Amino acid sequence: MTSASLAGPAERPAKPPRSLLVPAGIAAFLLITYWSVSAEFGIGLDLGEIFKDLGRGQIILADVLRPNFDFFERTIPSMLETIQMAIIATAIGCSIALPASFLASRVTSPNALVLRVDRGVLNVIRALPDLLYGMIFVAAVSIGPLAGILALILFNLGVIAKLLSETIDGVDVGPIEAARASGADRVETVRTAVYPQVLPNYVAFSLYVFELNIRASTVLGLVGAGGIGNLLNLQIGFFNYSNVGFIILELFLLVFVIELVSISLRRRLV
Amino acid sequence: MIDFKDASVTYPGGVHALRNLTLQIPEGEMVVIVGLSGAGKSTLIRAINGLVPLTGGEVTVDRRSVTKAKGSELRKIRSRIGMIFQTFNLVKRTTVLNNVLMGRLHATPTWRSLVGRYRAEDVEIAMRALERVGIVEKAYVRAANLSGGQAQRVGIARALAQEPKIILADEPVASLDPPTSHVVMRDLQRINRESGITTIINLHFLDLAKVYGDRIVGMRDGRLVYDGTGAEADENVFRDIYGRSLTADDLLEATAAR
Repeated sequence: MTSASLAGPAERPAKPPRSLLVPAGIAAFLLITYWSVSAEFGIGLDLGEIFKDLGRGQIILADVLRPNFDFFERTIPSMLETIQMAIIATAIGCSIALPASFLASRVTSPNALVLRVDRGVLNVIRALPDLLYGMIFVAAVSIGPLAGILALILFNLGVIAKLLSETIDGVDVGPIEAARASGADRVETVRTAVYPQVLPNYVAFSLYVFELNIRASTVLGLVGAGGIGNLLNLQIGFFNYSNVGFIILELFLLVFVIELVSISLRRRLV
Repeated sequence: MIDFKDASVTYPGGVHALRNLTLQIPEGEMVVIVGLSGAGKSTLIRAINGLVPLTGGEVTVDRRSVTKAKGSELRKIRSRIGMIFQTFNLVKRTTVLNNVLMGRLHATPTWRSLVGRYRAEDVEIAMRALERVGIVEKAYVRAANLSGGQAQRVGIARALAQEPKIILADEPVASLDPPTSHVVMRDLQRINRESGITTIINLHFLDLAKVYGDRIVGMRDGRLVYDGTGAEADENVFRDIYGRSLTADDLLEATAAR
């Protein structure tokens, strides 16, 4: 029996005044959008332009929608190169990301300095887009798949380390205390008490970046960093839009299949 | 021999968890520590293996100072002290055997633990530890698939695998039902009697404390307020430790009967 039920009903509180935060936020959002769109302050968006040159677009679109299936044989080497680039970049990027993630989590980092330096480096790596890395590495090691692979490795490192270190932040710390209490050193503690907890997530994240790498290699090809993107760029240059259409169709199917496999694998893991 | 000399722990924020505690626990004893939550029981137990550092005084284990020990010296002291937890603290996503092998890490080179290749003799020690708590048939089962009682016995096996001289148990039965609680307490008692391992257990159920504690230490507000045999500890003693009259909530059997 509790005494609260005997004390009689407590007085109900008055309804607190309505906050002005939400209407103020909406007003601010509308104002900023107007500022961006207007011809006076912003980019001067005119949706009419879409229709002005619609005829020119139609010719391209018609060709793209009539993909040239005879082009298949010529795309095989580039497609293989794209897949191989993705495999290599995923393997190397994910291998580096694993220790980097342990150093970037509050739970497993040896001290505040290492934590801050590692997080800082990873933040810088993640701040630049993969296309920019592609351009930098094409300049550094010349055109070809090596530049693309290097760009993808940095991209993978950034993505995995971010996702994995946040997963490590959320692990059950009980086993860590148990390992420390048994006299295990830091590396042994991380290996036996933390690593098994995040392994399924790590594999899932790696599959995910593999998927992203296939997609990214189309864009990387535009700056000469190898893969199917190179061929795509070439065909656009020749105004050969039926071939472009076929490459797009092929990529769509490849990404679709890889995504299906990866989703079903990931579902079984986590 | 565990020796607290004027030991104090003040947490950041000003909470005094341990106030000038002086206490000696000779080898082979089975000691139960009782007190309300917040009385300093967990802090006392964690001061013995250095998981909670003292802010004043000293703790020694077999004349080695836990308070002054750092790095590999502290790990060496810890390797001889097994620990059992209220929430078991098992890695749920790996096998029971891998969990018990955690108790062999102190004797395993780091490279071996990195690649997960334990020595055959360490696996043998882990298997024997599982046999001692009667759960060896679960060796290759994932820890996630265990019941509470089974999980705590794996926790005991992990502590035994260290081949410790001391076992610390922090509320080992607080997450278990009454019959399972008795099974786990009897396991701890048997191990204490058979191997002469000094055993220190935090409990908040008074009836369990009286049954299994050869010696009872009462804590209140970070201070030692009782130190005597379980037989001597009557209702007045417990009233003093708890600072209030006893209720049914303080007894395992009465809690179970409801």
